[in-house]
Amino acid sequence: MTAAAREYPMGRRSGFLDALAPGGRRVFFLLCIAAVLLLFAFPVFWLILTSLRPAWGVYYVHRGLEFTVSNYYQVLQDEVVVHAFINSFIIATLATFFSLTVTVTSGYMLSRFTGKIANAWFGTIYIFRTIPYITWVLPLYFVTQWWGIFDTYLGLLLPHIAVHICFFSWLMKGFFDGIDPSMESAALIDGCTRWGAFLRVALPSAIPGIAALSVLCWLWTWNEFLFALILTSHNTPMITVVMAQFVSELGTEWNLMSATAVMAMGPALIVAIFGQKYVVRGLRV
Amino acid sequence: MMRSPGPPSGNPPKRWYVLNEKTRFMLLLLAPSATLLVLFQILPIIIGANASFRDWKLYDPQRTWVGLEHYAYILTDPIFLTLVLPNTLLLMVLSVSIGLCLGLALAHLMNRHFFGHTVVQTIILLPLMVAPVIASMMMRWIFNDQFGVAAAVMEGLGLGSIAWLSDRWPSFAIIVLTDVWLWTPWFTIILLAGLRSLPKEPYEAAAIDAAGRWRVFTHITLPMMRSVIAVCIVIRAIDCFRTFDQVWVITGGGPARQTEVFSIYAYTEAFVFMNFARGTAAAIIGAIIIGALGWGLYRMLNRFMEVSR
Repeated sequence: MTAAAREYPMGRRSGFLDALAPGGRRVFFLLCIAAVLLLFAFPVFWLILTSLRPAWGVYYVHRGLEFTVSNYYQVLQDEVVVHAFINSFIIATLATFFSLTVTVTSGYMLSRFTGKIANAWFGTIYIFRTIPYITWVLPLYFVTQWWGIFDTYLGLLLPHIAVHICFFSWLMKGFFDGIDPSMESAALIDGCTRWGAFLRVALPSAIPGIAALSVLCWLWTWNEFLFALILTSHNTPMITVVMAQFVSELGTEWNLMSATAVMAMGPALIVAIFGQKYVVRGLRV
Repeated sequence: MMRSPGPPSGNPPKRWYVLNEKTRFMLLLLAPSATLLVLFQILPIIIGANASFRDWKLYDPQRTWVGLEHYAYILTDPIFLTLVLPNTLLLMVLSVSIGLCLGLALAHLMNRHFFGHTVVQTIILLPLMVAPVIASMMMRWIFNDQFGVAAAVMEGLGLGSIAWLSDRWPSFAIIVLTDVWLWTPWFTIILLAGLRSLPKEPYEAAAIDAAGRWRVFTHITLPMMRSVIAVCIVIRAIDCFRTFDQVWVITGGGPARQTEVFSIYAYTEAFVFMNFARGTAAAIIGAIIIGALGWGLYRMLNRFMEVSR
């Protein structure tokens, strides 16, 4: 800093970058944005590009110019892949519905009541939030077999609901904390039951938060890998497991793998483009 | 006990097991979640803990009591001590710190209005919604030894080629990169929400005092963002500890188990080496470690909250 700048600190609007060139800060900002876009979009862009290449062109993907959609046809001929897509869709939809139904009540409880029961539940969900999935999914491999639900929809659906209980109860508590409880008290005084106050007064106000969470929940279940890997076999293949098997089995057919991955990424792309505000709202801690 | 004044809940219970109306309502609200939690988390953990003290191989379940044998084996296993534990902690530290720094920078970049803001936000949100399995596949393809675009770029720059997935540190670096790619957007979104909720007055005061940008950041933004950053760190650190998908798809724990993290170790012991009891013992040791770490972080979080209040 020069002596003049020290004397007139108010005049120091910007430093090094504007000294380089007029509008240097603006250029620097644009460069930063460009770098960010490149960093985050490039892998996705590259995967889509690979999925559109013919089999013989994949290995020189950065050279040729031939494109084709036959990879997608070829992948969709595979019964296991189609079956896996349908399974993932069903499980994700059901798990979203049930985990939201189950956690909305416990979140409401946490938000509106205090005392021993609420404290105990809050402690429980904090502890079980920290426990790694593998600790309870490994034994669940046997437990589901004993109950006869291994490798069925039920055996996959119930753990997928259970995994979200802790985190979602916490998020739901946050949604209800943002809603003024005085309306519910008014309803109670007017003769509404506690259930009525919850279902007719509190729940409708929490719908925006719940809708946001449902989008995220659907995607997280669709993306889940560990449960599907341990708790399923040949009867209920899930798309993430099928893809992971591709990587080890057809390790060389990158065009087919990319086509499957792009299709599995479809919901994520749609949500990123059309459902941004839900995601941003649902992620608030 | 209800925060809002409700109607009186009737007479006090006559017997200890007769619950009053409010308690019944609370328990009913809780019942579905609690049942599922007990059946699918608590019960399996108890069964797993029981199994970890027994001789329980997948191909030959004797189920005879062997005490702490598996725990002793794991805690003296050189693979666990010199590879798995350092890898897990290193991944946690690197992924959280890089993600946090990048996320803070990105949140600052996004915290202004410019043309194309929505497009940039869409692209930043994308990794958050892509399955870790797919992200790992992308990275594997980009860093493919012969045909990957990274190899082509390095060749073009005349840097020679690296066998990315056949050495410990390059493959570990790809795992960290994938994790950072997946989770930086999450930091960005949360920190951006935090930045937007900050009061304007301290910044105006700083502008009057002609504070430099860096000064404003370290003396105003960071102290005010403390609690948000602490929450981010705690949540991410806990989630990072159980990383499985990325490592499984990118390296599978290889080469020669050198990039195994804790979840992979437990899975490998249970389903690859078919020793279910040892796998559950490893899983329980991991749960205890992250429990202790989480507790420490939680304490730190509480202290930060108090300081910033």
